[in-house]
Parts: sequence; C-alpha cells; structure tokens
Amino acid sequence: MAKEVKERRKHQIMEAALKLFSKEGFFEVTMADLAKELGMSVGNLYNYFTSKEALAKELILYISKILGEEIRRINLLSISAKEKIYKIVDFYFHTAKERPELIEYFLRIYLAHREVFKHGCEGMICVGPFVTEIMIFFEEGVRSGELRDQDFFSAFGLFMGYLGGMVFLMGERMLPNEIEYYIEDIAQNIYRALKSEA
Amino acid sequence: MKPKILWLQGVTCNGNSHSFFNLPNFKTLYDQFEWLYHPILPSKLSLDELFDAKPEILVLEGGLKNGWQKGQEEVVALFLKLASRAKRVVAVGSCAVYGGVFREYEKSISGVLFQGEQKSRWYEALKAKTINIPGCPAHPEWIAFGLSAAQPHLDSYHRPKEIFAYTVHSGCSRNEYFEWKVDAEGFGTKEGCLYYKQGCQAPYTHGSCNKILWNEINSKTRAGTPCFGCTEPQFPKKELFKTKTYMGIPATMPLGVPKRAYLTLTGVAKSFRIERLTQRLIDES
Amino acid sequence: MRVELLEKIEGEAFLDMECERGRIQNIYVRFPHYRGIEEILRSRPALDALVINPRICGICGHAHLIATAMVLEKVSGIVPTQKAKKIREITRFCEIVQNHLKWFYLVIFVQLGLPFDMDRVQRIIREINKLLAIFGGQWPHSSYALPGGVTCDPTQLEILQASHIAQSLQREFGLLFGDFDIKNLQKDLKKLFDKLNRLDVLHLGKGYDRFIVFGSDGYVQNAKLLHGKIRPARLEYVKEQEQPKSFAKRVTYKGKFYETGPLARTMIRGGTFVKRLHRRYKDSLTTRIFARIYEAAQLLQNIKNNLSTLDLSQESAIEASLQDGKASIAIEAARGSLIHTVEIENQRIKNYSIVTPTQWNLSNGSKDNLSLIQKALVGAPCTHTDLIFRTFDICSVCTTH
Repeated sequence: MAKEVKERRKHQIMEAALKLFSKEGFFEVTMADLAKELGMSVGNLYNYFTSKEALAKELILYISKILGEEIRRINLLSISAKEKIYKIVDFYFHTAKERPELIEYFLRIYLAHREVFKHGCEGMICVGPFVTEIMIFFEEGVRSGELRDQDFFSAFGLFMGYLGGMVFLMGERMLPNEIEYYIEDIAQNIYRALKSEA
Repeated sequence: MKPKILWLQGVTCNGNSHSFFNLPNFKTLYDQFEWLYHPILPSKLSLDELFDAKPEILVLEGGLKNGWQKGQEEVVALFLKLASRAKRVVAVGSCAVYGGVFREYEKSISGVLFQGEQKSRWYEALKAKTINIPGCPAHPEWIAFGLSAAQPHLDSYHRPKEIFAYTVHSGCSRNEYFEWKVDAEGFGTKEGCLYYKQGCQAPYTHGSCNKILWNEINSKTRAGTPCFGCTEPQFPKKELFKTKTYMGIPATMPLGVPKRAYLTLTGVAKSFRIERLTQRLIDES
Repeated sequence: MRVELLEKIEGEAFLDMECERGRIQNIYVRFPHYRGIEEILRSRPALDALVINPRICGICGHAHLIATAMVLEKVSGIVPTQKAKKIREITRFCEIVQNHLKWFYLVIFVQLGLPFDMDRVQRIIREINKLLAIFGGQWPHSSYALPGGVTCDPTQLEILQASHIAQSLQREFGLLFGDFDIKNLQKDLKKLFDKLNRLDVLHLGKGYDRFIVFGSDGYVQNAKLLHGKIRPARLEYVKEQEQPKSFAKRVTYKGKFYETGPLARTMIRGGTFVKRLHRRYKDSLTTRIFARIYEAAQLLQNIKNNLSTLDLSQESAIEASLQDGKASIAIEAARGSLIHTVEIENQRIKNYSIVTPTQWNLSNGSKDNLSLIQKALVGAPCTHTDLIFRTFDICSVCTTH
C-alpha cells in the first residue's frame, strides 16, 4: 500500500515538473521551486528524485513510454501504413495541443540540453520505447511493400522532424490555423515522401 | 551380428559421403556395421545387386527424382523397396531431407519426408522410421549420431534435438559483436558480426556447427563466412551474402525473438560505443 | 556390344563396350545424369555462385569455389593481395592432397585387392581437411573465398597450427610411401608396383602422350606439352560439343584430345621421379598412378612454403565492387584443369559454363580421332577396363554438373 502511495506521489511530481520546466525552462526551475509548487518540503522531494538530472532523465523516459504506447496501439491495428501515418500525426498533434508539456519537454529540453542527459541517457536509451515503435511502424510498412526501403534515420528524420517543426511553429504562435487543420495534408505529405515507387 | 547398413545415393554431389569420412574415430564406427554398400568405401555389394539387399539401416544421400538411374534401377523404386525392409531410414544431408539445392533446377525432386517445407508423399509411410540429418553437407558427428542413436528426440522436421535444438549462432566466436550490435565492415576481418549486413543466417538456423565445430577446429562464421542456413528447408535462398533488411532492420529475427524485444535491446546496445569492440583485435601493421 | 556400369567414381558412368578375343575393340562413355547447376545459377546475384558452385562436387568443390571467386574477379578487374592468393592456394592444394590419397587407397588399392591401414589413411585425410578448415572454416563446401580475397583473417596462431599439421603429414607420407626413388620403391609404392607387375599391366593405358595444363600457380605453370615441346595453353582454342546419349560434353584443344591432371602437371613441371617412370612406361597407367601420389607429396611442400611466407599484415579481402562483363579462367583442380566462364549483367549471372577435368580425359572421339580414354583402352585386355578407367581418377558428379 505504501509503495502505491509513493508511486502516485512520484507521478504527481513528474506531471508538475513537466509543466513547470516547459513553462519556465529547465535551468530556471530549481528543486526548491518545484517543491513549493507541490506544497512539499525540498528534503521530501529528494526522497523521490536524488537530483534534478535524475528527475530530468526519468521524465524523458516517462514521455517516451506514453508516446510509445500509443504508437504501439496504432501499430497493432490491421490498417495500411498510410492510415497509420494519419493516426500517428493525428495523435502527435493532439498531444501537442492537449498536453503540450510532453512534446515541449522533448523538443526544448531533451533535444536542446543533451549535456544534462549525457550519462544514463546515451543514444536512444531514454527514448527507446518511442523509437522502437517507430522502427516497427517503418519495418512493417516496408515489409508489406507499401513504403520504400531506405535507411531508418532518413525516414525517421523526415517524419519526426516534420512533426517537431510544426509543433515548434505552433508553440511560437506562428501558425495561422489550429494545428488540426494541417493533419490531413501533413499525413499525406509524409505518406507521399515515404511510399514505395511501385 | 553387426547391423547391416546400406548407403544409397539419389541426386547428390557426394558431399555427405566425404563429410562422413572426416569423422574422428571413424574406424570405430565403421567397424560397428556390416556395410552392404557405400559410394566411396569398400562394401559387399555392387550397385546392381542392391534391389534384393536387406539392410537394417538405410541411409539416403541426395534427393529423390523420378527416372533417376542407379545402375539398372530407378532410384525412387530402389529406395522404396529398401526402405520397406529397413528398420531405420536415415536421410543424410539437406537433399535427402528436403530435396535440397538441386530442387532449384527441378522442383519435383523430393526428400524422404519433406519436399521443401511440405510433407512428401511418403511422409505417412516412412515417418515412424526416418531420422533426418540435414546440412549441406551434414556434419560427420551428426551422421554418426543418426546411424547410432537409440532414441533421439525429434523436432517437427524429424531432426534430432540433440543437434538441431541449438542455433548455429550459439558458440560463434563473434558473439560479443552480436551482443553489442557491432557489424562487420566487410569481409576478411576477425572482428564484427555478419548478421546485419553480410547475410549471416546463424541466429535463426538450427545446428550445432559452432558448438562442436567443423573438422574439429573451425566453422564458417568463425572463419568470417556467413552461415547460409543450409540445414533448413529454404536453403539455398537468394542473395546469400547480403542481409535482407527493411529500413535497416534485419528481415528475419533471431530464432524465437519477437521484433519488439529485439529492437528494444538493439536500441540500448547501440547507444553505447564499446571501445574494445570497435578496434582491431590485433594490429598487424 | 555390352553395357558395363562403372560405379564408385564420385557417381556412375555407363560404358558401351565391344570386346573381341579378350581385347577392347571400341568403347563409348555415357554419363546418365544432369543436375542443372548452370541453370540454377542463371539470374542469381553473382556472389550466390560462391555457395552454389561448391555443391557441384563433394570431393573437389573447393576448386569450384576458388574458380568462381577468380572468374568473378577477372570480370571486374579485381586483384586480391598476395596473402589472399597464397591462402587460397593452401586450401586448394589441401583438397588435391586429400583427393589423391582417397583415390590411391579407396579406389586403386581396393580395385587391386591390396590391403591398407584404413584407420591411418583416414586419420591423415582428416588432418589435411583440418588444415584446410583452419582457413576455409570447413570442408567440404566452404564458401570462404570471394571476389577480393578470403573471409578468414588468420593470426600467427592459426599459421602455427597449420604448419604443425603440414609437418606431421610429411612425416606420415614418409611412413606410407618412402622416398619416391624409382630404383628403390618402398612401402605402399612397392606393394602397388609389385601388384601391377604381377598382373602384367604396367604398360597398359597409354594415351597420346599429349598434356595440357591451363592453370598457373605456385606449383605448376600453364603449358601444353606435345612431342617434347612446351607451348602456352590458350583458352580460346578449347571447344565443347554435345555428345549423343550422354550428359557430358566432349572437349578438345584445336580439335585434339589432351590429357589433363596430375600426370600432365608432373610432366610439365619435370623432376626425375616421374621423368624416369615416363622414360620406361610412357603415359601408361603406371606413370599416371605414381604421378598422382608423387604430386600429393610435392603439394605438401608447397603448402608449407606458402605458410612460411604469408605476410599477415596484408588485407585478407580488399573492397571489391562487381562489374558487368564476361570472363573465363582456369585453375588446377585435383583431376586437372577446371575452366569457369561467366557472363554478368546487372550484377546477376546471365550465363555460367564449366568445363571439368574429367571431360578432357573421358570425352568420346570417333574412329579416326579416338579420345584419350578410347586411345588408352582400345586394344587393352577387357578384364582390365575398370582399372585403366580408374587410373584417370574420374569424377562423375563434376562432369554431370
């Protein structure tokens, strides 16, 4: 029982940290600020996370699992790669809109401050659950003949860079329309770029 | 009384006969049987006397093809006649087991129990007495086991599990490179795993090649040659020196490993650069 | 006319024979099988031939592997390092040595009813194949040679292991065959000679005394030997023709039949042992048999030399990109010259054709142009047909690829 309570509390801390970090910036927020936001003592906060870096790493893994699980759900559907692309774009943009802290954290903190994640988050380790599902999406798309065979990263960069760029523009309030407006076209653009010639 | 053994050949290259002759302690095994016929060793009968022979153990090397002449006889008829009298049939080599490499020319060629991956027309009649020892060629110790083993445990292709429950990957001297996903950069090096680019099929091919070694000393993969999956019914596939990939991910996973599990582990392993595994083992220059 | 089955020749052949007053009048050799190797190769990616071609033959498949790697290299103008070439020679020579020993005992001694120590002979053969496998990974059916070199990258340890095997094999050879002194034959050589002498067959099986070697390596150089004159042997003069009732093709050089194999090689290399035999017995079965076992002993020395001169700092395989084109090469296999010709189009095999040593020695000719085997048999006692045949060391599976 005590363990469950602790897990729930940990979850609350991470949700609060995500919001705070993505609003104020990673370096601007101290553990004391976070403790204050949560109404707990700093000492108690350190019982959950031994340092701000440790918290930062757990957060990226936490986000990666949330995103990975949803893409896995899409991967398991018996639909075409084209339809999967639509669903992934749709899911990604809705997440960016409804829970912007998840994507913001990924783009503005994880990718922008790699030095924080140098130890313990080498390479793909902390984003593994997400990247694995994207790999499976690509692999199955190529295997079925629907997508063109190429290097994983050239395809990954096209897909995720595109989505990240759009979310960035949204964050900067540079998009004239709501992000949902672009789902259809972007899904189609990605599909056209990735589909096999045959 | 020594058991009588007869070694018959169908469509073959003789590779299994010669492989068998590499057996350590060959004479000990050879003397345990009365050899009615063997294609390269001294034996009692001539080819044209085989139709009336009564072997207890019948070895078939090579595939079965209608109309294929063995002396005055036709090989399928001769095989079936001898098999009906034998207590045990040992299909030696992938040709006798599945039809083998020459099926690429003539699809009608069949193994004893299997024709490629399908059951052959003799499956029901012969399944109870047939042991399959595939390989191109079969390893001499495997052949000896097929001839002598009292009651081997057989898998769904009638292959003894004592040999074929292992993958060729187990025991490969390049295992560290597989574990850390360090691929060989080309051919002709001691370093690197051949599974990612060079077409190695060892992680999903059944056989104890790297457990007991060939010619008592080496194996294909240890010598830097990819495993071509020669113990499996799909042998020989096409494009044998290149790994089939989909967006860089090997098309065939290690035996029994789900793709998700494999990719998760790969992601972790690839995230680290193990200095020792990226260097030459011995700097010759 | 009667039909005889010749078996245990790496497969079988049929002989259509006419025998009169105990002497062979006419003979025609038929190989009843065809396995479609050249068809199997068609349209496959070029490198697949390195896996398919060794399966032509269980006893000399390694020669087919090396020939395949070399012909693909020639198409693309790839030149491997000396190290790779020497390693390939070592393994190819090992295969020839094991072949000759098997033939000497399992074919010739068994045919003549001579006793031998099977345990010992098998152990020696196993050791030769082990030496080969140190580099090739396994024997039979290694695919360790490829355009650009070899897949193995031996260390000094493997070289030492191999050298020790080669040394102990030389000792074993000494124990089996003695000194190869024609005036003082010893051990199994003497046993064999005495038997041939008792059977009164020493002078049987003479051919045209014409020899041809297409390959060139550390052991023998390309040459054609005719009337004591040595000339280059050129692939463009080789002609293959279909033969009725047989799956083997006839092979001639400028329309003539030549002998290929160990006798041809030792004649072209020279050396007292075979020369003296030849002076006395010409190209009879005696010279042919002794040349083959003598060659095995010589090759062991070549293997040792190559092992001691390998430069391990060189690359085992150089980067090689395959081009389209057509090429032919020849190498020396156990039974003689082996010719591979390939045509590559879009990195795939358009055509592949193979001429095997047995085709040279066992073609059929016509009444006014007898083939080598016909020349060797016509007029000989019918009772010795089998023996004379077997001295050519026939490979049926190769011939009927």
